[in-house]
Amino acid sequence: MKAVVIGSGLGGLTAALTMARKGLDVLVLEKNAIPGGCATSFVRGRFEFEVSLHELSGVGLEDNPGRLYPFLDELGVLDRVEFIQTPEFHRSVFPDRDLRLPVGEAAYTAALCDAFPGSADGIRAFLEQVFITGREVTYFYPLMAYPTLPPPSRVLPLPFKTAHMMRYALLSWGEVMDRYIDDPAPKAVLSQIWSYLGQPPSRLSYTFMTSALHSYVSKGPMYIKGRSQALSNAFIELLQEAGGELRLNAPVVRIHTEGRQVTGVVLEGGEEVQADFVVSNLDPVTTCTELVGADDVPGMYWNRLRSCTMGPSIFNVYLGLARTPESLGLTDHEVFLNEGYDVEDRWQRMKQIGSPGELTVTNYSAVAPEKSPPGTGIVVLTTLGYIDPWLELEPDDYVAAKNRLADEMIRRAERVAPGIRGATEVVEVSTPLTCVRYTGQAAGAVYGFEQTPGETTLYRLSHGGPFKGLYFTGAFTQPGGGFEPVMLSGCAAGAKVAHRAGARGGEG
Amino acid sequence: MGFILFDLLQDSSRHAATIAGWVQTRRPGQGEDHRNDVRLSRARAAVEALHPRSMQLRVEEILEESPTVKTLRCSRQDGNLPPFRAGQYISVAATVDGVRSSRPYSICSRPGIDRLDLTVGAVPDGFLSRHLLEDVRKGDALVTSGPAGAFYHEPLIDGDQLVFVAGGSGITPFMSIIRQAAADGWPLDITLIHGCRTLDEALFDEELSGYQRDSDRFRRVVVVSEPAEGYEGPSGFLDTDILRSAVPDAEGRVFYLCGPLAMVDYCRPRLAELGVPGHKVRAELPGTVTDPTQITGWPEGVRADTTFRLTLGEETLVARAGESLLAALERHGVAPASLCRSGECGFCRMRLVQGEVFTLPWHGVRESDGGKGYVHCCASYPISDIVIES
Repeated sequence: MKAVVIGSGLGGLTAALTMARKGLDVLVLEKNAIPGGCATSFVRGRFEFEVSLHELSGVGLEDNPGRLYPFLDELGVLDRVEFIQTPEFHRSVFPDRDLRLPVGEAAYTAALCDAFPGSADGIRAFLEQVFITGREVTYFYPLMAYPTLPPPSRVLPLPFKTAHMMRYALLSWGEVMDRYIDDPAPKAVLSQIWSYLGQPPSRLSYTFMTSALHSYVSKGPMYIKGRSQALSNAFIELLQEAGGELRLNAPVVRIHTEGRQVTGVVLEGGEEVQADFVVSNLDPVTTCTELVGADDVPGMYWNRLRSCTMGPSIFNVYLGLARTPESLGLTDHEVFLNEGYDVEDRWQRMKQIGSPGELTVTNYSAVAPEKSPPGTGIVVLTTLGYIDPWLELEPDDYVAAKNRLADEMIRRAERVAPGIRGATEVVEVSTPLTCVRYTGQAAGAVYGFEQTPGETTLYRLSHGGPFKGLYFTGAFTQPGGGFEPVMLSGCAAGAKVAHRAGARGGEG
Repeated sequence: MGFILFDLLQDSSRHAATIAGWVQTRRPGQGEDHRNDVRLSRARAAVEALHPRSMQLRVEEILEESPTVKTLRCSRQDGNLPPFRAGQYISVAATVDGVRSSRPYSICSRPGIDRLDLTVGAVPDGFLSRHLLEDVRKGDALVTSGPAGAFYHEPLIDGDQLVFVAGGSGITPFMSIIRQAAADGWPLDITLIHGCRTLDEALFDEELSGYQRDSDRFRRVVVVSEPAEGYEGPSGFLDTDILRSAVPDAEGRVFYLCGPLAMVDYCRPRLAELGVPGHKVRAELPGTVTDPTQITGWPEGVRADTTFRLTLGEETLVARAGESLLAALERHGVAPASLCRSGECGFCRMRLVQGEVFTLPWHGVRESDGGKGYVHCCASYPISDIVIES
């Protein structure tokens, strides 16, 4: 049985490796010269920049494994990649406050209670809920990787094992938090990583946020030696050892179907590849519109896709510094720069290019100083934004628009790293259009569809596509966007294909 | 369990409302974003307008800049010219003597006009320059990449006090920036130091003299290394004295270097002597290296014309040590993707399975790639029989 994977993002690579291990003949087709999708790096001068990874959740350690751990362990990835624990979770800077949040449930809770004694009871009770829900999600996620309905022994206990998760499944993070805490300040700190998920608290899925927060706080965030490119390279190495194949510079322009069945793909230049299964790491909207053909996609599926909402894209300013960030007073790995405690207007502001809301200052030199030549450093400034305003720009105004935003972000970063602009040797700016250019994902939506209660967990698009043999993997599918979720999505999609292949092989 | 069931009941109205809203948006056309597919094509078009993967140019006019230098004035046939940053290059592809290859050329004209100038100088054994100078005629088509490269004035960090140091035809990216500055009324203060072998190489003399007359924000110093007898202008190498007299206030300015590798290597330490910090000196990518055996670290005992066997897949070919893997592959009819030809962009990345290569010091291979044998073919030279895979 032959399976073609379109795109070598982590969703595609996990699916490919899972399938290859189950004995399928796997070919991964990547349009770019470098594999990895967002999990990649680029070189400018004497600096190699991480493209996307701030902190990796879900790995954990052998004695405290995260959700991803058993999957990565089984695939053999843990032996090929060196993970580095980040010393802290994050630092949060507000106009009147500067906090460092540690890793570990007890330490994290204590740090918040110390900082906000007036809300301590509420914080404690709320976080208790969060961590219970997080553990329930950990129970739930492996069930998604079952190619069929999981066995009754796993399904029947669900209402008991995942009671909190089910109770809050359709509520937003903000709603649940409001029940426990009144003070906006601790709420803002608790919600700090919303920008890793793409929606401000009132729109953000409670379940999805708890699963992320639990993953970071209880298992500890990780970084990767060799940057996220090392993770992609490890997958590829393992894939090739398992008999799979990767082809770079090989854009797929068409998915062939016959009746309701996928039959293969066509590459740019006309080469055809027969396949029993096609797993698309490209988003489902682009896959259906451009590769299958809008008219050929069943109306039902089309309506399902049109009901989904594209999530935000991202804006990054990559700075290669001629000094160490430490010498500028920046010692933390992940710093969130907040304008204030109310973040609810951010959703509207993410639809404009104007002034950024939250800003993340990621100092890679803090976790891995050897990532750049001695005496230098790498810092990346990040903010979220939807693609829409970028589509309104005239091409000639593009550089000025992106530089205005980047300029404001560098100015604001001076607060935690005074002198950062003067110390910068190399600067590179990426916008939502850059995301589209390199990944091809619709709307440059780095986390896929919006991660609101109605578009996460079971309501997120499932892996099966509108044709027999067509599957989706990556941020747009279950469980959602982010490094940890897309690898889980790939494991699930790969397992489903392998199961179908086994069934079909049996018939033959 | 009891309390949870009670809670579930308590929240059931909230669940019901969410589900009702959800059902509503799932109905065809009711979602707020139901035209995702329309936005898709707009995004595609926006990216293509900014970063076309390839361009079809037509040579509209050929200007003689000097006995050995021509400007090919081009229009784009397959769309509007994309915006670019003054200083960027395009990669021009051509088939010469049956070999398909490409070379990067700085865009010499300024952005925002409907033509694109490529100024080409004769290079000894220049693969593409000879073709562009001798074979290309008015009306011919050129296939190129979209604009690329990071050698431009970056207002985010570069300020407005700039010094350009050009060696010979290395003046081309600077012409684009200078022309842009002139058109915008000199928002930048620019000193151009142009090192030439002879005065003939001081290209665009009339135009640049004009700018110098018109604005006190533009100064130009031509330094001739092989002056004619009786020449009284500045001559010699771009040493500390010449740099200091051309730029008395070097500190606080950003320096841009473009020219032969030897010039760039010569200038860097001299600028440091003048108090210019290293991170305020930017150099254009070095481009194709004509003689890698001159580069530090080249193994003794391997001559440029020593040949080795290079195997890629089913094919084995004979490659010279002095020729990059990329050039060797191209000469044998394999045309891997390529863009910068300076070791940085990674388009020509391949994996070395067996054997040894010499890589240039600026070979920008990724950390995680390096450990696994990946090389960028344009900056790698065979120094034993080798096997590579794409």
